[in-house]
Amino acid sequence: MSNEMSRMKFFCDDHRCIECFACSVGCAEAHELPTGISRRKVITLHDGVEGKEVSTSIACMHCTDAPCEQVCPVDCFYIREDGIVLHDKNKCIGCGYCLYACPFGAPQFPRDGAFGAKGAMDKCTMCAGGPLETNSEKERHLYGQNRIAEGKVPMCAAVCSTNALLVGDAESVSAIYRKRVAGRGKGA
Amino acid sequence: MTQQFGDAVNSKVIMMIGANSAVANPIGFKHFLQAKDRNGTKLIVVDPIYTKSAAKADLYLRIRSGTDIAFVYGMLHIIFKNGWEDKEFIDTRSYAMDQIRAEAAKWTPELTSDVTGIPVEQIIQATTLFAQNTPSAIAWSLGITQHSVGSSNTRILPVLQIALGNMGKKGGGLYIIRGHDNVQGATDMGNLADSLSGYYGLADPAWKYFAESWGVDYEWLKGRFFDKKWMNEPGFSLAKWWQGVLQEEKTYSSSPIRAVWIQGTGITSMSQQAKIKEALDKVDLVVIAEPFVNEAAVLTSRKDGIYILPVATQFESEGTVTATNRSSQWRSKVVEPLYESKADEEVMFLFAKKFGFYDQYVQGMKMDIKDGKVVKVKDDFKWPDDAVREIARTIKSIGLSGWTPERLRKHQENWHMFDPVTLEGKGEMKGQYYGLPWPCWDDKHPGSPILYRRDVPVAEGGMGFRNRFGLEHNGVSQLADKSVTVAGSKVEGGYPQLTKENIEKVLSITLSEDEKAQMGVNWMMDFSGIIQKKAREAGVCVYGNAKARTIVWEFPDPVPLHREPLHSPRWDLVAKYPTYEDQPKNFRVEVKFKSEQQKQDWSKDFPTMLVSMRVVNLSGAGMLERTSKYLSAITPEMFANIHPDLALSHGIKDRDMMWIHAPHGTKIKVKAYHNHSVTPDRICMPYNFAGVFQGIDLSANYPEGTKPYAIGESSNTITNYGFDVITQISEFNAGLCRVEKA
Repeated sequence: MSNEMSRMKFFCDDHRCIECFACSVGCAEAHELPTGISRRKVITLHDGVEGKEVSTSIACMHCTDAPCEQVCPVDCFYIREDGIVLHDKNKCIGCGYCLYACPFGAPQFPRDGAFGAKGAMDKCTMCAGGPLETNSEKERHLYGQNRIAEGKVPMCAAVCSTNALLVGDAESVSAIYRKRVAGRGKGA
Repeated sequence: MTQQFGDAVNSKVIMMIGANSAVANPIGFKHFLQAKDRNGTKLIVVDPIYTKSAAKADLYLRIRSGTDIAFVYGMLHIIFKNGWEDKEFIDTRSYAMDQIRAEAAKWTPELTSDVTGIPVEQIIQATTLFAQNTPSAIAWSLGITQHSVGSSNTRILPVLQIALGNMGKKGGGLYIIRGHDNVQGATDMGNLADSLSGYYGLADPAWKYFAESWGVDYEWLKGRFFDKKWMNEPGFSLAKWWQGVLQEEKTYSSSPIRAVWIQGTGITSMSQQAKIKEALDKVDLVVIAEPFVNEAAVLTSRKDGIYILPVATQFESEGTVTATNRSSQWRSKVVEPLYESKADEEVMFLFAKKFGFYDQYVQGMKMDIKDGKVVKVKDDFKWPDDAVREIARTIKSIGLSGWTPERLRKHQENWHMFDPVTLEGKGEMKGQYYGLPWPCWDDKHPGSPILYRRDVPVAEGGMGFRNRFGLEHNGVSQLADKSVTVAGSKVEGGYPQLTKENIEKVLSITLSEDEKAQMGVNWMMDFSGIIQKKAREAGVCVYGNAKARTIVWEFPDPVPLHREPLHSPRWDLVAKYPTYEDQPKNFRVEVKFKSEQQKQDWSKDFPTMLVSMRVVNLSGAGMLERTSKYLSAITPEMFANIHPDLALSHGIKDRDMMWIHAPHGTKIKVKAYHNHSVTPDRICMPYNFAGVFQGIDLSANYPEGTKPYAIGESSNTITNYGFDVITQISEFNAGLCRVEKA
């Protein structure tokens, strides 16, 4: 483990991901999300095509230089010292700029209001809650569980059936993946 | 399975055939992926469709469903031709491999390719990889068992492993992956129509042995049957129980079946849905005792004579379950049963009270062994501990004697003291394997994570092959060769299973009169435990040290033979590889084979192969998971994967509805998903839906508030007629159909 300040990162090993949906269902259950909201998605490309099919799991990647934060007109984003990108739902105006800026399609918008009007944006918090009082009822209601504050692994990675989805300090994630690639002799 | 999942890391190659663990058993599949990462293990997947497991394979072979035996003979042909077999293993630890060799000689790569549809070069490549890189392991599941030739399928794969000497060692063996939670435990406990618990069968000695352990009179047990003869005969099987109601084919019973009690099984995940519906409509009484509304309650259109009893979930009850690797695990109760639901055993106790046999029903839990005899030791019992003790006392056939409630609880409470890869205990748990994988011969035994290892002493989990089928066959000894001595054994080479009669001779000991008086007739029926005690002292396994037989002389095919499915897409091969003769009686009903297969060229009107699959978010009939909105959202509707070329030739666009017709006249209406995992000659669909029947929505049949988020046609409405010749499991995986735009 590095002595540097850690930066929390997700990484999905597509040699391991089998499209079992445990991460996205675990996330939805843990945070009691509406069914239309996918904080974490499981994607399969070339489904069923021999030699080409590949699956991966994707959510907010908690970018170092987060484009969502840069384009937000009301400046509702903030980046924690450990690199987790969060936002303030009470500030968010639901404009959707962040969705256009995000390379991963992470921001989600509830669509069940009249005329499909967008509400405040929702996204993966790496199970770190939001700006409200830690582990308060209000925080849980707006942002879901705050597992990081309890010293727990984010739900998605905790329930990954094949340990494809890695989360943690960037250097540790990288070390685990490097070992796997060396073992299987391919895949970097 | 002979191994445990963690052992996959020791395999150089793993071949999955008729198994899609990435979808059916994701946690188990992790071990195969881990093996690839840690050991460079190569993964071969043999399957009619390009599955999620195939997507992770180093080599994928697309086989025509129902031709597994031909494929394995194709491998054996190449292995014998090149001398890649393990000659010493074959000579010293197996019997009749010459007969297998003779059959394999017919299966040239070209013939194998013609029958299986796998290109010659891929057969050679897979065989070379598998045979030249031992230890190599095989994983199979329901794609192997659920065929009219299922029982032969399950024999030819172990034969391949014996030929390569892949048995009884790390990295080798067979991963026979069970489909659901505790399927292994349910089987071990004899939740079957043809055996008492522990595979003891139904003969009188078995009944008498159990009567003694249960503390009930054998004559009383006998009196519970309409006639003594039914006591010793298999009942109706789950696959064909409905014939006991409808009696369209000849059945054998004292009366038609008049009541059905369904507890802990999704009978809509069985084939012949239309017949099941008819039978459910016709019986006098249907009782469904489940945590969720069983789809059987929805399938039937009856208005009365049907009761749904709420039964508790696993979180509301306590006891043991057995995993696919033969490990037992204690499960704690998290909460008391909610509302008016009751735990399974509570329901059964009330049943027994109502029918007046409660005292006899629970008597076994008040008994224990004193001076070698089973006697009553207390007036009350503690659930589940005393039930577990009863099992440990009784089930010696698979070595459950060491499974005391105290040991199993301690394992569960000390997960952190076991290695997740090797299952070996550390610290206080040193010298034990997690969950005491059976056989666990006595309360000091550590469990046996890998079966048939002769390099490990019996007291540490080693053993030879079981001596189960006599001492000789056709004049040839069935015992292992002199050279095959299990580590630490005082008896050199092979030896027979231990009986009261032979124990002194086999172990070169003299028994005291007292020991003789207490000892049971053989190791399987010895309450005194003296046979096991003496065997332990001699480093001997009570079940013997024999040769593995590669032929089964009691079966219709002593040597496994390729036989075309009852509904074959290759009419030209049906004459050459016909199925079995019709069975006048299996379990309690006649079964059609040849008469169905050769009635007509089915492939003319039903040209498309029908393959079943599972989706990862649903299990069984899906009645549990489809009540979750998140799981339902993944597959909100019933569908079939169909190749665009086949679909478009029928004018079926992606996401169009289509009818699928089966040879016996049934049909289902499902959504067509254009997909390349299937070739144009076959379609594939999940079996996890119910709630729609032949195009008719059954939503109105759900009791208020119980309709799941997702409903759909059950694929089993069109599963073709066909049953295994021994086990009577339905032919789920090789049928024919015709698609039509809806």
